[in-house]
Amino acid sequence: MKFAFHVSPNLQSKHSTQMIMRDLTIGLLIVFAASVIYYFAAWGPAYGMQAIILLLCSLVTTFVCEAVFAKVKKQDIKSVITHSFGWVTSIILVMMCPISITPYAVIVATFFAIAIGRLVFGGFGYNIFNPAAVGRAVIFASFSGVTTNLVTSATPTGVLASTFSWMPGTEAALQSFLDYCGGWGGLLLGTYPGAIGETFSLLILLVGAFLIVRNVIDWRIPTFYLGTIFVITFVIAILEGIEPYHGIPGWLWYPALHLLTGGVIFGGVFMLTDPVTAPTVPSGRIFFAMCAAALTVLIRLKGNLPEGCLYSILIMNTFTPMIESALDLPQLAQMKKAWIMIACAGVLSLCVSFYAATTVKRVNAPRNLEKTALVMPSAVEEVL
Amino acid sequence: MSLLLGPMCQHIPGKKGLTDHSDVKRLMPKKEVYIPLFAGNNSQIDLLVSEGDHVKIGTRLANTKSAFPVPLYSSVSGTVKGITKRPHNSLKPQQHLVIEVDEQQEVQQAFLPMDWHKANREEMLEFVKESGIIGQGGAGFPTYVKYQKVENINTLVINAVECEPYITADYKCVMDYPEQFVHGVRILQKLAEVDTVLIGVKKTHPDLINVIRQEIEREHAAGIEVREVPDVYPMGGERTLIRQLLHREYNRLPGECGVIVNNANTAILIANAFELGQAQAKKYVTFSGEGLKYPTNVLVPIGMAVNEIIEQIGGYIEKEETLKLIAGGPMMGKTMVSDLIVIDRAMNAVTVLKNHDEEAMTCMRCGSCTQHCPIGLQPVRIANAVKMNDAAEMEKRGAMQCIECGLCTYVCPSHIQVTENVRKAKRTLMMKAKKK
Repeated sequence: MKFAFHVSPNLQSKHSTQMIMRDLTIGLLIVFAASVIYYFAAWGPAYGMQAIILLLCSLVTTFVCEAVFAKVKKQDIKSVITHSFGWVTSIILVMMCPISITPYAVIVATFFAIAIGRLVFGGFGYNIFNPAAVGRAVIFASFSGVTTNLVTSATPTGVLASTFSWMPGTEAALQSFLDYCGGWGGLLLGTYPGAIGETFSLLILLVGAFLIVRNVIDWRIPTFYLGTIFVITFVIAILEGIEPYHGIPGWLWYPALHLLTGGVIFGGVFMLTDPVTAPTVPSGRIFFAMCAAALTVLIRLKGNLPEGCLYSILIMNTFTPMIESALDLPQLAQMKKAWIMIACAGVLSLCVSFYAATTVKRVNAPRNLEKTALVMPSAVEEVL
Repeated sequence: MSLLLGPMCQHIPGKKGLTDHSDVKRLMPKKEVYIPLFAGNNSQIDLLVSEGDHVKIGTRLANTKSAFPVPLYSSVSGTVKGITKRPHNSLKPQQHLVIEVDEQQEVQQAFLPMDWHKANREEMLEFVKESGIIGQGGAGFPTYVKYQKVENINTLVINAVECEPYITADYKCVMDYPEQFVHGVRILQKLAEVDTVLIGVKKTHPDLINVIRQEIEREHAAGIEVREVPDVYPMGGERTLIRQLLHREYNRLPGECGVIVNNANTAILIANAFELGQAQAKKYVTFSGEGLKYPTNVLVPIGMAVNEIIEQIGGYIEKEETLKLIAGGPMMGKTMVSDLIVIDRAMNAVTVLKNHDEEAMTCMRCGSCTQHCPIGLQPVRIANAVKMNDAAEMEKRGAMQCIECGLCTYVCPSHIQVTENVRKAKRTLMMKAKKK
């Protein structure tokens, strides 16, 4: 005559972590598929196959790492693998790599992402850094010269960083860059060589909208990340007096150039939104995204690196615990504090604008970038 | 959706269709009722009847000695059989007065009716105190206490939202007694000395909205207005309802922002007390959930045992071990291990659900609980403080403000019992406060 005991409430929604991860995986695979199709069509079957091989290598490494981890901790292998969602990390990592990278570099990077980036912290839910970003940083630091004999031309992001210092200042300079990467349409559609999945700006934005509607990612992070980048570069364009391009004023095309290159859309939609490494409170997320945007632009213009986005994510991950403990009160009681923090992030962003605008010289002369003439291994010039 | 805050509420499938179309079943116990001699913790009961006495519906049975005394009245006519200890929905066994039910069911006036058009506020307040009416929203707080100081009150809110899934008792009750309901609202309006009364009803119950509007019009009641509210949980929570209707926030009690909130059912009780001299004897209770063969609303005397009611309405679908019996709705009600509990004065539902649980996973810090908490707390952060056993942080993070609405557990995609973690924090803080 005993009923089951349960703590209230006795009702739970059907929404689950598995559903969230399923939607995220679908979103990532859509972008990946677009990439594979692009490489098959534009560069040939060897390139298309390369993308698939890299993904398979990464996935296998992930599963092996997790299986070993489960074995060591004497847990059920299947449940560890299905509950840690390592494949999401794998897909993101591969999509951040250039097509010319060797599989073994991807394997080592995946090992670092999964084992060092995630498992040593205790597995899914406990990691401090975005694991995929950790893996990508390892490639940057250690495998810059390791490439296959598959060669592409220099990636536009690399060119923008190395040749134009992220600041083509005149119509002619921009035109020479745009000719190189297929014009604005090419930048928007992503039909130019770069990291495997990062270039498809428009598609990633559509997938991001789908993920926001499905409650997979918080709309605040991509909106404020991309919005702040726009504002910072907008101010820079005005301060630098960047010239109009065929009637488009400089304060419009220059921010657009920043948003469409270097994977900021990819980072803002898929990586900065990783809930494990972002703050949990909405106000903290806005602050987090704005600071990441300021760092991205700072690293781009002052560090002259193509991958400002990646490092800004890793740096902001370290601040997540601090942001959370700063915004710990009941939310209605800390509205004022949250607004002050956001205002500070805004001021910081403007400081970046002024600093970059006063110290970086714009490049005015057009450069002769012959698409076919460049057969430099892309991973090398990515760090130029 | 606000920029810095999440939605602070969530639509939950109401499952109201299980019970809101069928007629209310009027049930009587075959043999006995058990009146709980319990009015909150630390209450002493001063019994006015003894074994063998004959009582009628409305006979005063006991007084309580506590901070806010409330008299108890008999819900049936019959013979007092003594006192017994039974399971109670406060989770601890309590003393119950056993009354053997007779055939006649004689009624006596519990007290003299009062003409509320003529009486002054002080007389009316004393009358409500004597009537023993307690809030029907679930917490069971004596109604008169809210009206003791009304200088700063400018709005009365009548809560007919019924946001808990499965429950339709308030809806049924107001649909059956719209006239008494509006009278009760007008009495409360006079007690609160306010011009504005807002009645909150879910927009998914347009029939109820129409019935109340017609009744208000018929009575030419000034200042009383029905407001539609969205079908989200916890819209029936005082804080969320006041936020929705008046855009006001308060710290501890609604009185701080000039508002009194009362349940719709309470208004009907008030009207019956003033106009007929009746104390609360019978109650609308929703018996619903997938664990019952025939979910329905019942009208039963207070003190009728839940097992007897369930037997009379057709029983459970399967054996008890695989079911959860909840005193109240599925969100805020507590599971009872025994169905020997009785219907108490503030209980408006019994929900029986199948006992299957989703497997809990690691928290991925999605912040869903933070975005949905109607108080604006950060349950995930409070749970972290519990993990660290850091009482200072639990307090700083506002654990004591939690109303235990259960929404954080409901929305958690990792199926973690978030509410229970916050409850642990509350228990830790209460223990600490006691030690001091």
